[in-house]
Amino acid sequence: MPTTPPQISPVEDQEKYLQDALGVVKAQAFHMKRALDKNKLMDALKNASAMLAELRTSLLSPKSYYELYMAITDELRHLELYLLDEFQKGRKVTDLYELVQYAGNIVPRLYLLITVGLVYIKTNYALRRDLLKDLVEMCRGVQHPLRGLFLRNYLLQCTRNVLPDAADTDVDTPEGTVKDSVDFVLMNFAEMNKLWVRMQHQGHSRERQHREREREELKILVGTNLVRLSQLESVTLEKYQKLVLPGILEQVVSCRDAIAQEYLMECIIQVFPDEFHIKTLNPFLKSCAELEAGVNVKNIVISLMERLASFSQRADTQGGEGATILQQVQLFEVFSDQVASIITTRQYLPPEDMIALQVALVNLALKCYPDRIDYIDKVMLTSVEVFQRLGLEHLESSSLVSKELQKLLKIPLDNYNNLLIILKLKHYAGLMQHLDYTGRKLLSIYILNNALDNETVIPTQEETEQALNLLSPLVNDKEEQPLGEVDLEELAEEQCLLARFIHQLRSNVADDQYLILTAARKILGGGGPQRMKYTLPPLLFQAYLLAYKYKELKDEKWEKKCQKIFQFCHSTITALVKAELAELPLRLFLQGALAIDQIGFENHETVAYEFMSQAFSLYEDEISDSKAQLAAITLIVGTLEQISCFSEENSDPLRTQCALAASKLLKKPDQCRGVATCSHLFWSGKSLASNREETHDGKRVVECLKKGLRIAKQCMDVSVQVQLFVELLNHYIYFFEKGNDQVSVQILNQVIGKIKEELPNLENSDETEQITKHFNNTLEHLRSRLETPDADGVSYEGLEV
Amino acid sequence: MSFFGFGQSAEIEIYLDGQESRKTAEVKTEDGKKERLLLYYDGETVSGKVNISLKKPGSKLEHQGIKIEFIGQIEMFYDRGNHHEFISLVKELARPGDMIAHTSYPFEFSCVEKPFEVYTGANVRLRYYLKVTIIRRLADIVKELDIAVHTLSSYPEMNNSIKMEVGIEDCLHIEFEYNKSKYHLKDVIVGKIYFLLVRIKIKHMEIAIIKKETTGTGPNTFTENETIAKYEIMDGAPVRGESIPIRVFLAGYELTPTMRDINKKFSVRYFLNLVLMDTEDRRYFKQQEITLWRKGDKVRKPNLQSPAILAGTQTLENTAPQEDDQEKTEPAQKEDFLRAPNSQSNDKLNASDPFDQRISSPTESPPESQIQNMTREAGDGQNDPENTE
Repeated sequence: MPTTPPQISPVEDQEKYLQDALGVVKAQAFHMKRALDKNKLMDALKNASAMLAELRTSLLSPKSYYELYMAITDELRHLELYLLDEFQKGRKVTDLYELVQYAGNIVPRLYLLITVGLVYIKTNYALRRDLLKDLVEMCRGVQHPLRGLFLRNYLLQCTRNVLPDAADTDVDTPEGTVKDSVDFVLMNFAEMNKLWVRMQHQGHSRERQHREREREELKILVGTNLVRLSQLESVTLEKYQKLVLPGILEQVVSCRDAIAQEYLMECIIQVFPDEFHIKTLNPFLKSCAELEAGVNVKNIVISLMERLASFSQRADTQGGEGATILQQVQLFEVFSDQVASIITTRQYLPPEDMIALQVALVNLALKCYPDRIDYIDKVMLTSVEVFQRLGLEHLESSSLVSKELQKLLKIPLDNYNNLLIILKLKHYAGLMQHLDYTGRKLLSIYILNNALDNETVIPTQEETEQALNLLSPLVNDKEEQPLGEVDLEELAEEQCLLARFIHQLRSNVADDQYLILTAARKILGGGGPQRMKYTLPPLLFQAYLLAYKYKELKDEKWEKKCQKIFQFCHSTITALVKAELAELPLRLFLQGALAIDQIGFENHETVAYEFMSQAFSLYEDEISDSKAQLAAITLIVGTLEQISCFSEENSDPLRTQCALAASKLLKKPDQCRGVATCSHLFWSGKSLASNREETHDGKRVVECLKKGLRIAKQCMDVSVQVQLFVELLNHYIYFFEKGNDQVSVQILNQVIGKIKEELPNLENSDETEQITKHFNNTLEHLRSRLETPDADGVSYEGLEV
Repeated sequence: MSFFGFGQSAEIEIYLDGQESRKTAEVKTEDGKKERLLLYYDGETVSGKVNISLKKPGSKLEHQGIKIEFIGQIEMFYDRGNHHEFISLVKELARPGDMIAHTSYPFEFSCVEKPFEVYTGANVRLRYYLKVTIIRRLADIVKELDIAVHTLSSYPEMNNSIKMEVGIEDCLHIEFEYNKSKYHLKDVIVGKIYFLLVRIKIKHMEIAIIKKETTGTGPNTFTENETIAKYEIMDGAPVRGESIPIRVFLAGYELTPTMRDINKKFSVRYFLNLVLMDTEDRRYFKQQEITLWRKGDKVRKPNLQSPAILAGTQTLENTAPQEDDQEKTEPAQKEDFLRAPNSQSNDKLNASDPFDQRISSPTESPPESQIQNMTREAGDGQNDPENTE
């Protein structure tokens, strides 16, 4: 029992059916043309009708049917041309229009009617209006979707060049005006769309996908109607507003079919000129709000916005009419209002689509009104309101809506590439709050990278505060931060970015810079030890730089200001100390001391001393690892060696303290090296006592080195011993060449001898090889000095190499 | 004509006045062929000449008189012996005597009443003829000449449209409208079908013109149905609210005027049969009688300029009827779809069909649901591909 309409058959059958049909078409077309050649019109019509009867089939898929349709309409052209020719020669066939209507089957009858009707119209324009009306009306007889669509497509194809396109007049003209054309096409459009939509509801629900694919293949037929409307030259803006668009929209909205609505709205956007769209935004967008639930309204609206945005850009560059239209229409306001109403009326619109609409709005604003930041801010505000209404907070970063929101937030940044402009957006930060922690963090990183890439300088305290607050997921701990292990590597990476950014908190005005730094300090101080260790150092270096700047400026109170800066530095470093860091603050103190020394403001010695002593106490209290201790002492010595601002009263304890600390190191090799390093303090170290010149206290140098030798000898490991000897030898040679008279060739010989004695006893190993190489290189140096002594240098005479 | 090979014989020729210029009409003969006959109308004078030519010139023809008759008669094919003459006029052309030469006799039946139209149907024939008889003692010489008669009508005073709502409850409701109830033979039927409810899968819809010839009376009534034309007016399944235009040109079909109770012997009536076919090949139909009449033959101008070629699309606006208007102004007559006698149907389908029960007992339907049944019959193999012309 055939309960369902004829099934569309499988591919191979399709091929067969199609070939059969095409065979008939070919044969009938042949006979038709033969008959036409012999001027036997009635026979030709019979053949044509038989040929057209093939279009009554239900067996073909849309694709095959299309092929058949093309073949047949191609042949119909012969008939049409013959008739045209006859008519133009004056051999009109009486009642032909009636004659073809005797065909018993409706499909062939209507194809013939259209063909003949076209000939009538072409030969007598006075019939045009009535014939068009009649044809489009009679086509209602075909209610089968596929056959109906193709029939009406044929009607549309045939009439494409004969549609009246004259402006409306008051006089009733049988030739018709553009209004008749519009009515004609709109009617055809409505009927085609109904047929097209009806396809969706035929057959079994399990074939839905298949049906939708077929409909997809046929949509162009429906869309062609709109193309035809857009090709009518006399469709002015006014006609479009009053006649065309309302007609289309009414049909689109009332068909209640998502596929059709989506396609047709898109079609409207694509086929009609932008000037029309701009003037009809309200009705168009209003209709968008009324579309079915399944329609992706977002895409439609966005597509329109994009078109108009690029139109506006074109208009801007070319000027002229387009630009004036744009001025008349507040593009952004209209879209903004309509988008808002779409969002409110379409409850089921997913939030990501709402935000996507906002994204499009922002894009529009940026393209059309690049200097209207307030527009962007307005969108941000609307978005915030949307979220508030929906009660959406902390959007999970992997969700679609969150992605859209990120997009929305990134756009102004990508566009302006200027963090400062973002800071001007009042609702930006608020909107950002709707992202969850991860989302905000990602966005913060994005913002940071943008600022870094564009080297955006933040020139005021206020903006600094805003920026850092915006970046708060990176700056502070948040209670909502996911618990569990913090990925230190990740944190380091983030904080490095932030640290780089801090270098861009920079004002040309020194006082402002100070304010910036204190503000930043306040905010960054909340970041906890893990962050502070990355964020505070750059701040300190900035502070040091500022101090140098004051030194250059030398304004009235520069010294006081410098003092204040270093107080700031001191407290900042102390904060790091409190964060249970040791090595970092130690280095920062040392660096500070150096800066203080060089700036030399009032009272700087005391301050420098304080910094140095803080470094020492850190060394003593906090650094316990022997390697770290050695490194620290080396740094302290290096710093002290550079500093020249201390009076004897201060420098002596410091030096002695260094030497003492060095000799108190735990491991003998460390002691040895520490002491050797200290020796330099007494040679190249400067102080007020030596008039900021190098001290050149040769005796104490040698004392230190001797102590080093002594300690080295105490080492159990021979290879270490030899290594230390070689190093000490190098120190000796350094001082010897610097002209320390306390160092003699004899001492050098002794050390060399000692090394030579011990060296062969070493086991073969990589270490030994290194030591030997070091030693040999040293000897090589000495040898070259022996052979070619410097003119004014010391003499190595008597050296035994 | 002579039964014997000898004796004088004569040939009769009936010449009608103006026969060269008189219009002719095609009339079907009994054996289905068509011949062209001279055409007369009611009240027209039939005149002419009877020429009698002798076959053997020189010898005389003896006769008992010569007469010409004008006869209008109805022949029933099942009752060949009885011809019912409704008109019989006689004119004597010559008194008994001898005829020695070719003779010509003028005759005239002036203003003859010809109340009926010639007709040749399945069971009945109505004809008019002139009969010349040379009365002789042994065998008369007879000559007959058929003429065609068309009855003309003037525009009917009342010619309402036919508007009706029909259907099968909860299954199919339609409203159809034909622009007139009386059509002349070259007329165009313009109408529309409006679908109020569609719950069946319709495949197509056609209009058939059916001729119903009824002969005899009482128990001896014979009815012969003939489908003159089948005309597809819709392809595919419509949905509710769809309105389908109808336009049928009648000129192309062999139609006669409607004849009612012609001389109490027979009737010929015409029906428009609206047929819907569903995808299971069941047919739903509704017959509606129309009256056909013959319009005075003015020459139909093949006028390309005139919108007449559009045959009245303007006269019937194809719009959805508005329920309110309808009830206030002229409520569409609501009627049954008739159920066809089940003779042709193989009732397999019907057994499982709930609608059928409803159809078979229309009286059970509540009185207010006046939409009456459309006829449905089960697949009857009517959907042959050759239902076109």
